Amino acid sequence: MSTSREPPAIEWIPERAALRLTGAWLTPNLARVERELVAFAPAVPQVRLEADALTALDTAGAMLLQRLRSRLERQGKGVELVGLAPHQWALLDLIAARLAAGEPVAPLPAPPALEQIGRAAAAAAREGLAMMSFLGVSALALLGALRRPARLRGRAILAVLQNDGVRAMPVLGMLSFLLGVVIAYQAGIQLRLYGGNLYVVDLVSLTVLRELGPLMTAIVVAGRSGSAYTAQIGTMQVTEEIDALRSIGVSPMELLVLPKVIGLVIALPLLTVFADVVAVFGGMVMAEAMLDVRFDTFLARIPEAVYPSSFFTGVGKAPVFAAVIATVGCYQGFQVRGGADSVGRHTTTSVVQAIVLVIVADAAFSVVFSWLGI
Amino acid sequence: MAVASVPPVEVSDVRTCFGRSCIHEGLSLSVRAGEILALVGASGSGKSVLLREMILLHRPTAGRVRVFGEEVDDLDGAQANRLRRRIGIMFQQGALFSSLTVAENVAVPLREQTDLPKGLIREIAGLKVALAGLPPDAANKYAKELSGGMLKRAAIARALAMDPDLLVLDEPSSGLDPVSANALDELIRQLHQSLGLTVLMATHDLDTLWQVAQRVAFLGERRVLATGTMAELSANEHPVIMEYFQGPRGRAAGRGAWSRG
Repeated sequence: MSTSREPPAIEWIPERAALRLTGAWLTPNLARVERELVAFAPAVPQVRLEADALTALDTAGAMLLQRLRSRLERQGKGVELVGLAPHQWALLDLIAARLAAGEPVAPLPAPPALEQIGRAAAAAAREGLAMMSFLGVSALALLGALRRPARLRGRAILAVLQNDGVRAMPVLGMLSFLLGVVIAYQAGIQLRLYGGNLYVVDLVSLTVLRELGPLMTAIVVAGRSGSAYTAQIGTMQVTEEIDALRSIGVSPMELLVLPKVIGLVIALPLLTVFADVVAVFGGMVMAEAMLDVRFDTFLARIPEAVYPSSFFTGVGKAPVFAAVIATVGCYQGFQVRGGADSVGRHTTTSVVQAIVLVIVADAAFSVVFSWLGI
Repeated sequence: MAVASVPPVEVSDVRTCFGRSCIHEGLSLSVRAGEILALVGASGSGKSVLLREMILLHRPTAGRVRVFGEEVDDLDGAQANRLRRRIGIMFQQGALFSSLTVAENVAVPLREQTDLPKGLIREIAGLKVALAGLPPDAANKYAKELSGGMLKRAAIARALAMDPDLLVLDEPSSGLDPVSANALDELIRQLHQSLGLTVLMATHDLDTLWQVAQRVAFLGERRVLATGTMAELSANEHPVIMEYFQGPRGRAAGRGAWSRG
């Protein structure tokens, strides 16, 4: 189309009762002429549309023209259209036929608020039940696998240890070190006031070993690995790989879920120990720099400040956190339906749910431990 | 619609390499305005890559690509976008945005590229859905709710959104049953005729080649081995082309075309 691209326009000529259509009626520049056409309401019984100066007409332009024609006719006016080239007539006829074939159906209106609340509540309840049932199915698969350990996929478990354990160490180490530094710093400001510099050891090692070490590790792993599980299984769901596995007779539970759960249950306690060590080291560095507590003094004080039980309660929580993260991640992956959009939504849900459940579990542990007096 | 004499796409002496393996070497091809040109060739002959080079999605290693008479290498981003607006593309799997309905999919190019009011955009989208031969209630469905044939039609509706001069179809009939494939062939022919489109497609479907394509370019041995009508190509003596068209499938499709036409 090398024709001129001046904008489309209309001009009313009262003497002839004619509307002159000029310019190129092409999709990108129809905005103004559309407004003018809507406002166009001649007070004459017979209108003549002159299109001989029309330089170009595409489907959207033809649609506007057809809309004008049928509106005028509905108002009981006579319409005479002249000056269209033969191929433009053909286009206009095609558009007229398609437009007459049926108005597009308007999208359904949103349901009323009460119905939305009800549906959301029902969906949440179903989600809870579905998750419980998934937990049950995974537990059964685990039992089955333990009875026949030969069917456990050792290689897949090792891959999980590598990807979600070893490869998480740099970022986890950095965060833990900073965590230790921050705790020692905040504690140091207070302790210096009372001259209790040495108690920085108690504060740092207790908070890190009992609470913050395991929690921090679980949150990093939920963000790093839980999301990856959901995205992986979700994408496999979209591309029908899960169905392909089932059709070959491989249980997706055995191939995809168990290695992740078992691998993470092994990896997370190890990562927690690593995080504990690095965080305490961070505290040591800060104590030396700020409170003049030397490294050997710090280390000598640790056995007096911390019982082994503190360390073991901290690390003991890790396998539970791991099971929560891996199960939620895999479960959300299997919930994916449709396409890319759904993968994204479920990945978000997976991370949020995993972190929430980890913190809830941590709170439950605190209550139980205080009952038991540990 | 006025048909310009400039070829919509012209590639000359193109070389495309991925690492050390080259799939095009000295390849030249010109799409004539107003025609239906089909690219054929065995799998791996670089049809899709050539298609992507022609629609500014992939840059060849060497050689010239001209789109609507403009050298692709000389274009800045805005100019390239202006050219892209004149090309409507239907991807092989449809590539409809899964979070949007069909009508919203068609509205995306209109919303992004023009300043038309919302109501008008909705109307144009509805028209394009109808032009692609979809029933009105399909407009509010999501891609996952559509059958294979309807998905392709929805993709064509989106490709037509900006009234392109060139419609590019990547394997239009792949994955369709014969009835839907025939209906789609008919739709392509109809749109070509009524909208004055130039159509460029890559296809394996011998029926489509016989029924729809006006000219066929055969890709093989890293270049265009031959171009011509299907009748001419199927009489070609080159061994690669003979193997492609003289197999049992090729002969059956050819016989069908003769008996029908």
